[in-house]
Amino acid sequence: MPEPTYIVLIKQVPDMDEVEFDYEEGRVDRSSAPLEPNPFDLNALEEAVKYKEELGGEVLAISMGPKQAESTLKDAIARGADEGILLHGREFAGSDTWATSLALAHAIETAGSCDIIFAGEKTVDGDTGQVGPEVAEYLDIPHVAFVSDVTKRGEKEIQVESETWGATYLKSMNLPGLITVTKDVNEPRLPSFKDKQRARKAEITTWGIDDISIDPDNLGVTGSPTRVANMEVPPPEERESLILREDPGNSVNQLLEKLDLGREN
Amino acid sequence: MSDVMVFAENNGNKIHPVSYELLGKGKELADKLGGELTAALLSGTSLPAGELIERGADRVYRGTAERLAEPIESSYREVLVQVIEEANPEVILIGATNFGRSLAPRVAMALDTSLTADCTGLDIDEEKNFVQIRPAFSGNILAHIKSRTSPQLATVRYRVFPEAGIEEGKEGEVIDVELSLGGEDTKQVEVLEERRGKKVNLEDAEVVVAAGRGLKKEEDFELIEDLASFFDGKVGASRPLVDDGWIGRAHQVGYSGRRVKPRIYIACGISGQSQHLAGMKDSDMIIAINSDPSAPIFDYADYGLVGDLYEVVPELTRQLKGE
Amino acid sequence: MKDKVIDKLVSIAGEDWVIQDLDKIEGYLYDETPEPASPKAVEEVVVVKPKDSEEISAVMELANEQGVPVIPRGAGTGLCGAAIPTEPAIILSLERLNDIKDLDEDNLMVTCEAGVPLESLFEAVDETDHLFFPPHPGDEGAQVGGLVVENAGGARAVKYGVMRNYVKGMEVVLPTGEEVQLGGKVLKNNTGYDLMHLLMGSEGTLGIITEVTLRLYPEAKETATLLVPFENRHDAMSAVPEVLKEGHVPLALEYVERKLIEESAEHLGKSWPAEEGEAFLILIITGKNEEEIFDKSETIVEVFTENGALEPLFAQRRKEQESILDIRSNIYTALEEETTDILDVTVPPAEVGNLMDEIEDLAEEYNTNIPVYGHAADGNVHPHIMNVNGEAPEYFEDLKDEIYETALDLGGVITGEHGIGETRIKNLPMALSEEERVLMGKIKEVFDPNGVLNPGKAV
Repeated sequence: MPEPTYIVLIKQVPDMDEVEFDYEEGRVDRSSAPLEPNPFDLNALEEAVKYKEELGGEVLAISMGPKQAESTLKDAIARGADEGILLHGREFAGSDTWATSLALAHAIETAGSCDIIFAGEKTVDGDTGQVGPEVAEYLDIPHVAFVSDVTKRGEKEIQVESETWGATYLKSMNLPGLITVTKDVNEPRLPSFKDKQRARKAEITTWGIDDISIDPDNLGVTGSPTRVANMEVPPPEERESLILREDPGNSVNQLLEKLDLGREN
Repeated sequence: MSDVMVFAENNGNKIHPVSYELLGKGKELADKLGGELTAALLSGTSLPAGELIERGADRVYRGTAERLAEPIESSYREVLVQVIEEANPEVILIGATNFGRSLAPRVAMALDTSLTADCTGLDIDEEKNFVQIRPAFSGNILAHIKSRTSPQLATVRYRVFPEAGIEEGKEGEVIDVELSLGGEDTKQVEVLEERRGKKVNLEDAEVVVAAGRGLKKEEDFELIEDLASFFDGKVGASRPLVDDGWIGRAHQVGYSGRRVKPRIYIACGISGQSQHLAGMKDSDMIIAINSDPSAPIFDYADYGLVGDLYEVVPELTRQLKGE
Repeated sequence: MKDKVIDKLVSIAGEDWVIQDLDKIEGYLYDETPEPASPKAVEEVVVVKPKDSEEISAVMELANEQGVPVIPRGAGTGLCGAAIPTEPAIILSLERLNDIKDLDEDNLMVTCEAGVPLESLFEAVDETDHLFFPPHPGDEGAQVGGLVVENAGGARAVKYGVMRNYVKGMEVVLPTGEEVQLGGKVLKNNTGYDLMHLLMGSEGTLGIITEVTLRLYPEAKETATLLVPFENRHDAMSAVPEVLKEGHVPLALEYVERKLIEESAEHLGKSWPAEEGEAFLILIITGKNEEEIFDKSETIVEVFTENGALEPLFAQRRKEQESILDIRSNIYTALEEETTDILDVTVPPAEVGNLMDEIEDLAEEYNTNIPVYGHAADGNVHPHIMNVNGEAPEYFEDLKDEIYETALDLGGVITGEHGIGETRIKNLPMALSEEERVLMGKIKEVFDPNGVLNPGKAV
């Protein structure tokens, strides 16, 4: 029987606490912040590595992005991935979640058989959480989202706790399948200095559209069903500092008028 | 095809209130598109469709299947696709709950169509395009998104739009749909157990309502919980209450506790020692309730209510609930 | 408190800013001194929150006139009871003086009011993108004024030193109400006695600092945190001088032990990243690029490995580095409930291994456990004397004295960063000569002839 394969989907994102915004130009200054693996994806990677430690097999990290995303894949290798694959090429640029999912799904098919796909619940920059379930749908495999604990690791099935419907559900899923994990699922390990040094020299495989046999018409801006019509970068709001000192009824009333809960952007 | 369909998320007992918010917004969009407002009420056991109609739905597609009693996305995806194909709406709105955010992408990919996540603004422009506004980069940017495929799906954030009001006696059509769902043997995911007591994860909460020394007794956390539950938010506390054992460590906000950055932070009876401020001052909006006008928390608040939390908090909960 | 004093305070600061209600002043009575070692606070106090030095000055004049003690107060993060009222007093909170007035990027200095929390200072300096304020005494809620009057130290003092090394200027309200300005944005100053340095470490007894000018440093382009595990305390501590001798000066070099650090991590809802090892050194390495960080780390790791280290871990992501520092900074919070007293003895850096060994012997002798962690490269560690059955053990004072004696015998001091405050007054005679103490007493009299500013503390 072949060794199981675990695939981790990883995106390189800017450190969100450091990233700066150009309010006048209405854009994100991506160069303002160091780049790092999407934090939730590190939880996904950790879960894959735990699976490998328990049942053996290989962990494959796949990312789609610019050349510099190689450093994120190298980080993944330092943290226990066996190999990193980068989908890269101008055709991929500007893809929305649908097109990204399609590309990643093609890459997963190209990589061969796969037992479990691990992804973070969302990325901190795009914040959609759509890619995981979309990949699962395209590959026609089951998925469980918002996994906060993996309670049993099996070869044919995985047992997880999933946060949904306002409660926690213990679910089992047949494999192959995909899970998206929350931060609660584990605490990603720190790499050793030795592994970190070794991974700096690791080779990252780069795949373009031909390698994964995908029609470029389904990629990038042209292939994406959605497009960003425009982007607003609202300047940070100053705190209003309104102090209300009336009787509770009136103060609350005034507060609620200010809050305008039905507010649309 | 210019109808708007709302997915009425439910757990078999109760329709999630986000569905009523979607009906309000959906009606507005349907009017602009010149179409009707419909709702998909899919559940494990049959639920009454009346309230969806009274809150604005012209037509309710209702279907039940035993497998829908459990939160399994692939089951819901099968039947929702079936209903969408039957009703043929232009726009489909789904609440951006955990379940909605997990279900919608499967549906979008199955229909090979567009999906925009976690919208906070929705509109129809002059060319009848569906404009979806959503925050990204931790809410620092707002993207205006349009689609070039049809139908167009969006998940919509909870507690952004007001609930549609009830128009008593309003009439509408209920279409009972015969759902075709594969047998048990096609199930790939199984629910083994429902576990209560969600994990306390203050860091990810959208709304945190926290109490400090102004709270007199442990039991009074009930007031705080009531307010938090309106927002589906989490309960926090300042260090002294945690040290006294009134509430678990996981609830402590501050330098030596959790650092939170919710959309709304409501500080009740918290004076705002720097220890505490370090854990919450970056919240998008801070509302402070304290009887001491000199409390430092007021310096950091967007809105400060000077008053006894025992009067102000219940009043706030009451007014929010529209009582 | 006399009505007359209250009325006068209200006329100085305004009604909202004078607080007597016990409910509302609770948070102003104690500091972070462990409860068994802490003096009991009297509750007949009034809290006043002046908005500027003018109001502070008026409060001091009133205090002298009425003979009422004034206790200046920052964030209350002190560990020696210096801010705890032990007689009826006016507690003067500096929390409203929280303005960062001038971030001078040309001179690499920042001028801010005394009530600015350390965390806000860090944020403001961080926004320049290239400057850095190194000290990290632990609780980031601490206020700048408190850091100065306590001459705080902490984790990031290895490379640039303790608080005293950063203060270049200050504005002070004297105990008698006059305002003076000391120093300025200068790096050298030989004009007469250095009163400014007298104020640093004076624990709120010689004047109320209202504003300070602090030196900043260029921010390192890259940092990484090395986490080096060892089998035991002795191995870890013996390895420290070996690395220092090689000429490596990390930004911080901290020592922690598994049980403590795991408790602290749990307290924060995190987990300690190292699976193996019982004792750990945490090093913050700085450099101008990734290459340099790796080069430095490689040579440091080599020295440690030769000296018995297990497999070192390496944190490069900012969040992961912050998390390690956070866990380290919250050990005390996690231990506080079971702690009788936290000490901060300091010995010459090369003696720290001997200090640890002797503390271990004392623990054995007293049949107890003495958790220790601290600033290994500074020779400054924190032995905790722990409660027995929830209260101070009967041997508390004896054990404390023995630890102090041990440090003194090794050429050290009884307190390296927390100060004397109230809890160590009784230990002063073993640490200072009669002559020194008399001089200090006279200095106090010169500054504060009526003895109204934080009486009974520090000297």
